[in-house]
Amino acid sequence: MKKRGLAGEFVAHLFPRVVRKENLRLSYTFCLGGLALTVFLLLVVSGLLLLFYYQPTAAGAFTSILFLEEQVPGGKYLRSLHRMASHLFLILLFLHTLRVILTGAYRPPRQLNWLIGFALLCLALFDGYTGYLLPMDQLALWATQTGMELLGTIPGGSLAKVFLLPDGIGGSLSLLRFYALHIVVLPLTMGVLIALHFYRIRRDKGILPYL
Amino acid sequence: MEATGRKRRKFLISLILGLGGLGLLARFFRPRLPQAPARLDVPRREVPPHGALVYRQARVALVREAEEFYALDLTCTHLGCTVTVTPTELVCPCHGSRFDRRGAVLQGPAQLPLRRLEVRIEGERWVVRG
Repeated sequence: MKKRGLAGEFVAHLFPRVVRKENLRLSYTFCLGGLALTVFLLLVVSGLLLLFYYQPTAAGAFTSILFLEEQVPGGKYLRSLHRMASHLFLILLFLHTLRVILTGAYRPPRQLNWLIGFALLCLALFDGYTGYLLPMDQLALWATQTGMELLGTIPGGSLAKVFLLPDGIGGSLSLLRFYALHIVVLPLTMGVLIALHFYRIRRDKGILPYL
Repeated sequence: MEATGRKRRKFLISLILGLGGLGLLARFFRPRLPQAPARLDVPRREVPPHGALVYRQARVALVREAEEFYALDLTCTHLGCTVTVTPTELVCPCHGSRFDRRGAVLQGPAQLPLRRLEVRIEGERWVVRG
């Protein structure tokens, strides 16, 4: 047998050996999870390009956005794409969650994948929230202000606030933390969980046999 | 029996290492910040009776009301927007909370009065911290 690495094993096990024709019906899942994955990849690619111009400092952030929009060919398009894709990502995730609830796909034996999916939804929301501050315009500042006050009202929220905002909203250290979470910590965690999410579908013997 | 003992030892070691690591991480994420400059540091000026000096950037209003003189924190106690000072009351543009000139809530959604800050006189200047 051919020897494969971890990634090779993963890809080899991702797709089933045989698929029954009636199981390819699109109207059951509408492929919402797959669409969400596509949008996630789009976010990664467009975000990667934005990295080349964005400056994560309190003084430089908004200026770098203006520079990106006005001086960089395609910059405005790219930023809009990233923003629109982030909206679409959350919409797709909510629809996907709704579909899973309505078809009862969260029930055993797939409860673990429901938990992974729910964690992904929370991480996606948090990633959207951290990304919202990065342009450092008025909307970003006040939305983060109100969001952080809301966070302060839940138990343990003040501790999270200390971690997220070492020098207050609008401070460079806080911006840097949001930035690090937005571009490295959260996407990486999501990437791992997404891989696990798709792997679990195969482990649980696909989508449709439970109908 | 031996296996159980080792299991417990392993658990304890990872517990200690895990908690220690968490503690170090918690310290790592709380840097010693330089002393923040005073929130407001302005030359003393006359505030007319029933008047107020509003410093929007610092989010502070110096208010004279009857015989009292005090500084109000203009951060709305609901979700932290900056309230607008009008001659009769203070209104939050975000969700419509209204406060009287002493900072007490006239209308929600805010539930707590605006914070009062200490005004100190340093030479010929007013200084507000906190």
